[in-house]
Amino acid sequence: MNLTEKMRQEAAQILESKEADLVIGWGGGEYYWQSPPLFLEDAAGAAELAFSPFIVNNLAKYLLEELESHEKAALFVKGCDTRGINRLLQDHRIQREAVLLIGVPCAGLADREKLKAAGYDAGLLQVERQGDSFILTLEGEEGAREVPAGEFLLDKCLECRYPNPLVYDRLLGEEVQKPRERDPMARVREVQKKPVDEKYAYWQEKLSRCIRCYACRNVCPACNCRECIFDQNAPRWVGKANQLSEKQNYNIIRSFHIAGRCIDCGECQRACPMDIPLMEINRKIIQDLTELYGEYEAGIDPTDVPPLGTYRAEDPAGFSER
Amino acid sequence: MKRVGVFVCWCGSNIAATVDIERVIAAARKMPNVVYASDNKYMCSELGQASIRESIEKENITRVVIASCSPRMHENTFRKTVAAAGLNPFYLEIANIREHCSWVHKEGEVGTVKAISLVRTAVAKAARNEPLTPSSLQITKRALVIGAGIAGIQAALDIADSGYQVDLVEKEPSIGGRMAQLDKTFPTLDCSACILTPKMVDVAQHDNITLHTYSVVEKVDGYVGNFTATIRKKSRGIDMEKCTGCGICYEKCPVKVDSEFEAGMAKRRAIYVPFPQAVPNKPVIDRENCRYFTQGKCKVCQKLCPAGAVDYELEDEVLTVEYGAIVVATGFDILDLQAYGEYGYGKHPDVLTSLEFERLVNASGPTGGKILRPSDGKPPRTVAFIQCVGSRDQAKGKAYCSKVCCMYTAKHAILLREKVPGAKPIVFYIDVRTPGKDYEEFYNRATDEYGATYIRGQVGKVYPEGDRLIIRGVDSLSARPVELEVDMVVLAVAVTARADAAGVGRMLGITTNAHQFFNEAHPKLRPVETHSAGIYLAGMCQGPKDIPEAVAQASAAAVKVVGLLNKDSLVGNPTVANVDESMCSGCLECTQVCPYDAIKEKSITERRGRETLTRTVAEVNEGLCQGCGACSVACRPGANNLKGFTNEQILAEVDAVCL
Amino acid sequence: MSVAKEGFEPLIVAFCCNWCSYAGADLAGTGRMPYPANVRIVRVPCSSRVNPSFVIRAFQRGADGVIVAGCHPGDCHYHSGNFFTRRRLSVLRRLLEYMGIEPERFQVRWISGSEGAKFAQVMTDLTADIRALGPNRKLRDAL
Ligand SMILES: Cc1cc2nc3c(=O)[nH]c(=O)nc-3n(C[C@H](O)[C@H](O)[C@H](O)COP(=O)(O)OP(=O)(O)OC[C@H]3O[C@@H](n4cnc5c(N)ncnc54)[C@H](O)[C@@H]3O)c2cc1C
Ligand code: SF4
Ligand code: SF4
Ligand code: SF4
Ligand code: SF4
Ligand code: SF4
Ligand code: FES
Repeated sequence: MNLTEKMRQEAAQILESKEADLVIGWGGGEYYWQSPPLFLEDAAGAAELAFSPFIVNNLAKYLLEELESHEKAALFVKGCDTRGINRLLQDHRIQREAVLLIGVPCAGLADREKLKAAGYDAGLLQVERQGDSFILTLEGEEGAREVPAGEFLLDKCLECRYPNPLVYDRLLGEEVQKPRERDPMARVREVQKKPVDEKYAYWQEKLSRCIRCYACRNVCPACNCRECIFDQNAPRWVGKANQLSEKQNYNIIRSFHIAGRCIDCGECQRACPMDIPLMEINRKIIQDLTELYGEYEAGIDPTDVPPLGTYRAEDPAGFSER
Repeated sequence: MKRVGVFVCWCGSNIAATVDIERVIAAARKMPNVVYASDNKYMCSELGQASIRESIEKENITRVVIASCSPRMHENTFRKTVAAAGLNPFYLEIANIREHCSWVHKEGEVGTVKAISLVRTAVAKAARNEPLTPSSLQITKRALVIGAGIAGIQAALDIADSGYQVDLVEKEPSIGGRMAQLDKTFPTLDCSACILTPKMVDVAQHDNITLHTYSVVEKVDGYVGNFTATIRKKSRGIDMEKCTGCGICYEKCPVKVDSEFEAGMAKRRAIYVPFPQAVPNKPVIDRENCRYFTQGKCKVCQKLCPAGAVDYELEDEVLTVEYGAIVVATGFDILDLQAYGEYGYGKHPDVLTSLEFERLVNASGPTGGKILRPSDGKPPRTVAFIQCVGSRDQAKGKAYCSKVCCMYTAKHAILLREKVPGAKPIVFYIDVRTPGKDYEEFYNRATDEYGATYIRGQVGKVYPEGDRLIIRGVDSLSARPVELEVDMVVLAVAVTARADAAGVGRMLGITTNAHQFFNEAHPKLRPVETHSAGIYLAGMCQGPKDIPEAVAQASAAAVKVVGLLNKDSLVGNPTVANVDESMCSGCLECTQVCPYDAIKEKSITERRGRETLTRTVAEVNEGLCQGCGACSVACRPGANNLKGFTNEQILAEVDAVCL
Repeated sequence: MSVAKEGFEPLIVAFCCNWCSYAGADLAGTGRMPYPANVRIVRVPCSSRVNPSFVIRAFQRGADGVIVAGCHPGDCHYHSGNFFTRRRLSVLRRLLEYMGIEPERFQVRWISGSEGAKFAQVMTDLTADIRALGPNRKLRDAL
């Protein structure tokens, strides 16, 4: 049985046995790269579930809303998604008993942009993972082509450290072994090296693109507040005017709010319609926290205390204490 | 619309000589929300205050800004003025144009420009000031004292003598603590029991003291004036009402174990009274060793008891009691010597700790007060005393000085000479520290009158040769090695915090230092208070100290308790954190940063359409909150906001100060 | 980006905790220890009350420099407030630097209630540093 079938079977069984009254999973779409979230209350709908190398959506955040109208929700989760689950658990935003987690080990997902760049997008019907390769099903004569998966993986998958779910009730398929192939901090170090005015110019160029759509916040498992400060009128934490300073304000404060809490999932950057390298900001903070206050990874253990929620008397300071 | 009145003070020439008051007033009149501005030579004078009151009434002013000296100086004065005019006292803001302006910016007109800016900032904040009412807290007129060593005893007696009820909780079967184990006490050499026992009896007989021995405090909730403690009175297996304390029961008990009180130098039974002067002088059954409890058979004591007081079925009693104040007096332990193998402690019976030596010299101790070698029962001719064992030793022991060892070692040297005429006390020391009234003199007596030899230097090794002990060390003054043959070695072991101190601290919400001694609120100015209002410290649990210091601190703590209990009610601090439940996500991040553990989670139910949802939110206990605002910053969505220093106010101040 | 200008008078916003640094500023006053009038103090109960949003807001509204001053670690009136300050503002300071803000423009200092002279000195040095950097345009609202 392939993973798609397993997912369907699992979902149908859960709904039939009333183990949960909602299943959230990934569906398929018209195009090969589509994998929209699917909300099933009825076993009949399970046939729409589809596993593909494009199930990048972290479904965890849908729980916030869905659990208001459902007793228990079953959720398909990849390794990275489970850190988001832990994030929500740690922030007391969901109850563990209210979710049924179906773990899906993940050997890495495909990046449509990379496929495009290699000239594969047009006429591509389907992408399947097979061992170390992606099998591309193409329109017309050629039919199928095998390409090395490593060349077409999402950057975040190359940097992934947790391909297997950290928390789950059931696991579909075998755990995978997948070494981290790329140092996620490389970009941070590069940006960091720039002289101060160049850094400003770099970020000015990036952040001036921000349209304050708040997609990055909306998708973020760490941004799970009931009422975000950026939506408040009194006080007004961010001005309405469409100007660089407010975009900077938003992006600095957003990243500060997830300091020590960001699970490094990359969803914000993926969701950003303006291609702003948000992970270069988030990871800068992860790097500094590690450097100053010790190794810490958010969303691994929901019972620990994030670095900004604690201190040691002998902590170093990131400024001169003279 | 808020109607802000601005009152600019000249402070004689203190402000007026530098700041152009006229210009400040003119500028103030143009600021948003300002309806009135005036000046006075001395705003704090009766006349000045009267003019403020009059203007508030006449001009219908609803928010007040006074530009004057530091709020740390006159904020309270002016709050009263504002209140006298019928406004909420927290409608006042002060612009500090003296300390922060006229006194430091004397050249040109910069002082005037800055004064205007400071006034503008204060106006911006004042326009957003909300009425605040300090909560009034009731005070439970009862105190809890934890630990009944000399410090706890003294504190309990002083509080009780002032007319308040005190519960004294002691985990051991008897009160008395370490002092009951000591023989004589420096620097006067009066016998410890002789001065302690009367106090113990006073405690037992005091109308205002309820004694709970063999008891522990399991839980403390609440805050100053309103603590609730759960006390577990462990079952003694004895009906305390029936028992007459005759002592027949323990004579025939078949079990013998090391006596804690005798520091393991003698045995006790499984049913026992720890020492003859114990209070209460009634036995306890040690369930871990009692044959009936371990093997199910025996009951000898029950058969013997003429009063029928032995009852194996008696269960623990759990009390929940309310208190207004708490004194922590849990005392100290001595260092475990495992890391100090070189001194041969535990290997050679004639190597003793100082506490064991106290028992050895004690007339009611294992030898009846005769100093005899545990190995062969012979009096020692030469005794080496080694100071600083584990103290001032960063590497293996404790970095701090134990404070009492220099003095009690001098005492031990004197007692040795008194009890074993002709015996030779030899003391190894690093420094001899004798600060204290009559202390240096006492030490001089040890060397001059009692012929104690003091060798500066450390001991490297103690080992037996024949029936004697060899000491190897270095005399650091002559830099020469020393080798001595002695009959007994006494180690002045470091004092340490109780093993459970950190746990007790967590239970009470008070902190400990790196060595688990409880932290006082201020090392100089608030030595008996803790950071938690209503909880005070007495005795060694706060740090090494001798009996006179422990007693002084206990009396000081008692005064603090009495001062608190004397009040009719407590006026709370109104600038406390507040959680907007509708906004709160229940992440509880704010609870983690509160130094006073003032925020707890709470469950609320609310309707959402047709569903009823239960969710978690944070709730601030206004009695505990001190108003630091750390939580308000930890709260990302700003649901937690500090009254008096709200996000709105500070953002408005920032906007204004930058104008 | 930052061009030193003739006659430039920097605006410096100083968040001072009530118990130490604000008191230190009072002491500088009582001791008549002059420092540049460019420094404007906003009083907060504890350095831990300073929200990074306040700092950004100050830069937005035209501050050329921002300083947060609190009690020395271990001396916070609220016992542990400034330990949190230290962590939070260390992160913020590095982040701002990463975003291209000169580190001199955002500082954190420990100034006790008895350090009037230190208060005056820190503020004098800070003003000189900012004066040398010139007016801040970064993060600032469009005029
Ligand atoms: C060998 C030696 C000789 C000394 N000689 C002298 C001397 O000559 N002169 C002098 O001035 N000082 C001397 N001292 C110091 C003196 O012993 C102390 O200053 C004094 O005993 C401190 O009293 P305390 O009440 O603080 O502590 P303790 O005597 O330790 O009393 C604390 C009490 O609290 C109880 N307790 C602990 N934890 C709990 C709990 N969780 N719940 C309930 N109860 C609890 C304990 O059982 C104990 O009864 C000597 C010390 C030593 C080690
Ligand atoms: S900030 Fe971005 S990477 Fe971090 S948890 Fe949120 S969405 Fe994921
Ligand atoms: S940006 Fe801040 S306030 Fe908004 S959702 Fe994220 S964490 Fe919450
Ligand atoms: S998703 Fe991108 S454009 Fe939208 S608010 Fe975030 S950073 Fe700005
Ligand atoms: S930090 Fe804010 S949102 Fe979280 S529990 Fe506290 S008040 Fe609520
Ligand atoms: S203001 Fe300070 S003391 Fe009060 S609840 Fe918040 S963190 Fe605790
Ligand atoms: S009160 Fe000064 S830093 Fe907390």
